[in-house]
Amino acid sequence: MTEQIPRLLLDADPDEELVTVQRGDKNVALVRDPFDLGDSTDNFVEHLERLGFEPLPEPARPRPRERERPRPHIAGAPPRRKHSRTPNLAEVELPAPAGLIDRLLGPDERKRLVALQELVSRGAPYDRFGFSPEVTRNVFPLFYALYRFYFRVKSQGHENLPKEGAAILAGNHGGLLPFDGAMGIIDILMHTDPPRLLRTIVDRWAGSLPWVNVFYARVGQIVGTRENFNELLADGQFVLVFPEGMDGITKNVTQRYRVQPFRVGFIEHALRTQTPIVPMAFLGSDDQAPILYDMKPLAKRLGLPMLPITPTFPWFGPAGLLPYPVSYKIVYGEPLHFHERFGPEGADDSRLVRYLAKQVRRSVQLLIDRNR
Amino acid sequence: MAHVLVTHSDEPIGRRVVKTLVHDEDVESILALGSGTPPRAFDRFLSGNPPKLSYVRIDMAKHRPVSDFFHSSRFREASIDTLIYVPQHGVSDGASLPMVAGLPPRTAEARLVLQNCLEASSIRSVIALGSAFVYRLQPGNANRLDEESELDLDPEVQPEVRSWIDSDMLFHSEIGNQRIRVVLLRAPTVVATGGFIYMNPWLSGSPGLRLRPLGFDPLCALVSDKDVAKAIQSAVHTEHPGIFNVAGAQAIPLSVLGRWTGRPSLSVPRGFLRAASSASHWLGADTPRTRDCPQLRYGFTLDTTRAERELGFRPQYQIGLSRAGDGGLRLETSPA
Repeated sequence: MTEQIPRLLLDADPDEELVTVQRGDKNVALVRDPFDLGDSTDNFVEHLERLGFEPLPEPARPRPRERERPRPHIAGAPPRRKHSRTPNLAEVELPAPAGLIDRLLGPDERKRLVALQELVSRGAPYDRFGFSPEVTRNVFPLFYALYRFYFRVKSQGHENLPKEGAAILAGNHGGLLPFDGAMGIIDILMHTDPPRLLRTIVDRWAGSLPWVNVFYARVGQIVGTRENFNELLADGQFVLVFPEGMDGITKNVTQRYRVQPFRVGFIEHALRTQTPIVPMAFLGSDDQAPILYDMKPLAKRLGLPMLPITPTFPWFGPAGLLPYPVSYKIVYGEPLHFHERFGPEGADDSRLVRYLAKQVRRSVQLLIDRNR
Repeated sequence: MAHVLVTHSDEPIGRRVVKTLVHDEDVESILALGSGTPPRAFDRFLSGNPPKLSYVRIDMAKHRPVSDFFHSSRFREASIDTLIYVPQHGVSDGASLPMVAGLPPRTAEARLVLQNCLEASSIRSVIALGSAFVYRLQPGNANRLDEESELDLDPEVQPEVRSWIDSDMLFHSEIGNQRIRVVLLRAPTVVATGGFIYMNPWLSGSPGLRLRPLGFDPLCALVSDKDVAKAIQSAVHTEHPGIFNVAGAQAIPLSVLGRWTGRPSLSVPRGFLRAASSASHWLGADTPRTRDCPQLRYGFTLDTTRAERELGFRPQYQIGLSRAGDGGLRLETSPA
């Protein structure tokens, strides 16, 4: 049974939203807003109300052209594809099983993988970001086994995912190695029809790692640059962001399931590209490798983003970085349509953008608190 | 009706541009420049009555011949209103070529051409073909780049890329010119019929084994030479100035591209590659085979939305392997 997650209203007092939080059958009272870091939220609310009730400024009109320029036309040019989309499962024709991978997977999983072939144009081996359906098919059994048997992932709220078009999924990050992103990809692939490939925005640092950068690209993950982000949204893709960044996966065990401050770039993109934001909670990732201490000075000297001490690392060598077999739960919240209220112009208002990022962070924290 | 001048028309991309424009009814005359004898493909175009195409042999990198040509009666009589600057290819080993007036040949040539265009009163449009390798690449196997992306102004950039950047910036500086419309097209690796590739700093030069850093296999954006010619043709007939990315719909990893074009690569540790690069530089044999550059680690594809919107450019050719007459597999372009 899917649990309905109350949507946060921007007009409401943020403190009221968090005073009472339902956890299972119990109501848990929070004394104060856990994100209130000392700055006055009232100013933001006033600012929002001013923006919301007053008419938005007229959009800048394009400069009139001196004269009409001829529109070029190339005869025989193929029509531009609007969105890269996969076919419905009912439309997918399943080829005869060939090889070990096909025998390991059931017909439903195979159909979903076959549907991903449509993301690359005209049978090309790679898409414009280096995604390869062939490589994805080869590594899918391993990650699907992790999904089903190792992390035993349960998920809810899939009805909150848009049926078509782009969406930004904003989730909490944790657990040293990004298995939360991998489980999110498998979960969305297995629970959407037509099957959707979740494109995760990864840190630039990961793009400079040998082999890792190639692997990420081949399974559809993207380094987070402005152009990449815009292109994915224009192409109607689901984009997963972890707005906490490295702070999420490097947080101490005492901070587990406390969502760290969000970066704001994804809000600007959401407003500019008129894309809804779906808050998303990963439960279990913070337990897969609890960090007892982060040796930051040594990490800095070695050029690493972190050098953690966990119950198993560095005592068991690199194997100590592997995640514990914790149970995962993925929850999708109701989509937040900020763009409908604030429009693309809102992206230029830094205070508004910061406030909206805070709202998304609250939504994610609420999802975590309600489902732990 | 346009009167067009095309530089380096005796080279593959220039030849393709001339052949495309010859069949364009809105182009009245074409004056083709080249450093060698006219290509045989031009024979039937040169023999018309009156011929739509005329050919002039000239060394574009040298000041005196270029200046003499732009002040000649032949240039005046041709009433050229559009100049298409197709850069010289085959200058991959930029460091080994003699400098012209203290500049690499490509930069010297771009400067000369632009300077003479600004002085020639008949010229209204300059369309220059540049390279997309001018962009700074961020870590990542494939970065989507648009025209606003940052240029690689790192002083350590390799000489060939530096010459592309210099000539790019020369044309860029005149985009706001009130009298002349300047269009700069940035193209990635250009694939021509027969499996030939151009404008890739690492794969240019003779076939053979190349080294690349271990653990990296960047995605390479590709475009067919026919699509480049179509983009130039579109730029001739529109009135939009500016910079436009021009690329095909396909992209493939560098290792695959190298294998398909007779330039297979060997992945080696980065330290080994740096040592090999330094050694070859010290021995005076700096070739693309041992270079270490960001283009070998980080890939890119181009956002062509602006070219599509303002020039009406859409890639019409796909690139793939096909069996040639000798039975071997070659990189080919075919209509999509």
